[in-house]
Amino acid sequence: MSVLSISVRPNRMTCWVLSWFLFAAGICLYLYTAQKRHKENPDDRVVPTLAQLGAGIYQAAMNPDADEEPAADSAGQSALERFRNGMLWKDTVASARRFLYGLALLFPAVLLGLHMGIFPYFGVFFLRFILFFDKIIALSVLPILFIAFGIDELSKVMLIVIGVTPTIILDTFNLTKSVPPEQVVKGFTLGARDFDVAYRVVLKQIWPRVLNSIRLNLKPLMLFLFAGEMIASTDGLAYRIALLRRHMGMNIIIPYVLWVALLLFLVDLTMRLLNKRLHPWFREA
Amino acid sequence: MVPGSLADTGAAPVLLDAEPATDLLIRLEKIHVSYELADGACKKVLDGIDLDIRRGEFVSVIGRTGCGKSTLLRLVLGAERPTEGRVLADGREVVRPDRDRGYVPQKYSLFPDKTVIDNITFGPEVEEFSLLTRFTPLFYRRRKEFRAEAMRQLRRMGLHGSDAKKYPDQLSGGMQQRVAIAQALVMKPKILLMDEAFSALDPGTRTGMQKLIRQVWRETNTTVLFVTHNIAEAIQLGTRVVVLAKDGAESSGSKVALDLRVPDRAEEFAEIAERVEAATGHSHLDEEE
Ligand SMILES: Nc1ncnc2c1ncn2[C@@H]1O[C@H](COP(=O)(O)OP(=O)(O)OP(=O)(O)O)[C@@H](O)[C@H]1O
Ligand SMILES: [Mg+2]
Repeated sequence: MSVLSISVRPNRMTCWVLSWFLFAAGICLYLYTAQKRHKENPDDRVVPTLAQLGAGIYQAAMNPDADEEPAADSAGQSALERFRNGMLWKDTVASARRFLYGLALLFPAVLLGLHMGIFPYFGVFFLRFILFFDKIIALSVLPILFIAFGIDELSKVMLIVIGVTPTIILDTFNLTKSVPPEQVVKGFTLGARDFDVAYRVVLKQIWPRVLNSIRLNLKPLMLFLFAGEMIASTDGLAYRIALLRRHMGMNIIIPYVLWVALLLFLVDLTMRLLNKRLHPWFREA
Repeated sequence: MVPGSLADTGAAPVLLDAEPATDLLIRLEKIHVSYELADGACKKVLDGIDLDIRRGEFVSVIGRTGCGKSTLLRLVLGAERPTEGRVLADGREVVRPDRDRGYVPQKYSLFPDKTVIDNITFGPEVEEFSLLTRFTPLFYRRRKEFRAEAMRQLRRMGLHGSDAKKYPDQLSGGMQQRVAIAQALVMKPKILLMDEAFSALDPGTRTGMQKLIRQVWRETNTTVLFVTHNIAEAIQLGTRVVVLAKDGAESSGSKVALDLRVPDRAEEFAEIAERVEAATGHSHLDEEE
């Protein structure tokens, strides 16, 4: 039995150990580096120790942004209130709001892709343009967006529109095209009208795949959101990370990075489970 | 060729026994179909097909693979338009698939996202209720009736009540086709079009399905157009067998090479089978049998 064998079946315990090994190794390596650097320089801020990270997390979660006016009676607040006034929570809410706007804008994109795939006139009207639009590097038009829409929310949302919606439109278009023509004909022979076929036959059966496509595009969506926040924003998770870079605030940056990863992971997981639960007939290809 | 005008509908040659014109359900007039290939060449598939289908007939269409059987069926459905000629259903030109002509394809015959019962009630529901009116109380009342009717169809097709909640991919191929037939019949179509509907089934299941469709045809008085590449199936099921075949060069399109009424007596089957086989222009029509 060799490691490089296709037909081996590792047992449960081995699987568990192997799959967590790199996490454990990463943490150990980090702790070792931190400890070593602190031995050389007790004031090191680049690789904070666990204690420093803990303090950083506490500070980010429980204290308001240092630039903000401190609340008058911050001493008398409960822990929950302090958390809700804290920097982490406020940043998360700000980013989440933009994230949801972006997500909401993907639904018109899905409908456009569906109509392009089903109604030939729609298809020829939009396809060439969207194929071109898709090739525009969203970040390269960022200056134009800032000039055209100002540096407030709109330009950040537009960045997401330019960056992610063409992919979703084209994905939905292709999914629509991949529905066997038999299904469409079948719909008509059962008395369905065009819109019934579009929504109740085609959209219904590609919907789980569309959700999957949206799920896979959450990362680009976050990427554009973060780019927008880092360059022009006064709140949000990415704004904070960019800001703390100036103070070398690694003890807060690292928790923020992990927090964002955790949130995205949870959103992804929820969507995957929901998809499975809502569409028991769906078999992933 | 000039597409036939409405005026000559009544005067067209009657292929078999003279029967009243009102019995005519489907008429194919001088149908030509050709496809433009990627290299600009033109591929003729059907080359002058005239065919009348009368109410109550069970027409088997047979021919070698690639001879245009499915194309013919799609023309009758309205899923495809002929390059020349026209297709009439009840005297009106067919331009698109509609609820008068039921369809049971070989594959993808059911909606994968709907349970068996929802597949069957889809037709009645969608016909009576649009996307908006589906949320009215009337819809929920009517749905009960649709479901009861669907359950009746389901039982008639030999399925159990417990199958109603299953999704198509939880059913065997034979059961799926049973549901697909129920789904089409619930609309009471004027003609049922089946494209190699049983070809993917194992022999035992296939025999069962043949009995079933024959029985359904007799009980419901529907008209059936049944495409197959199995000679025995064509003869046993059909009241009439139509053979499509090229009559010469490989580049020509298919014509009706034989159009036979099948007698009820089984003794003549062997002789008919021979004639059919000869007409297809191939001694081994079917690779799998
Ligand atoms: N959209 C198309 N474009 C080009 N050629 C086509 C198209 N559709 C069908 N054909 C050609 O037309 C011919 C007839 O096809 P059709 O599917 O009707 O044959 P068939 O008799 O049903 O064959 P089979 O027994 O394999 O199902 C085939 O040679 C096929 O290649
Ligand atoms: Mg075919």
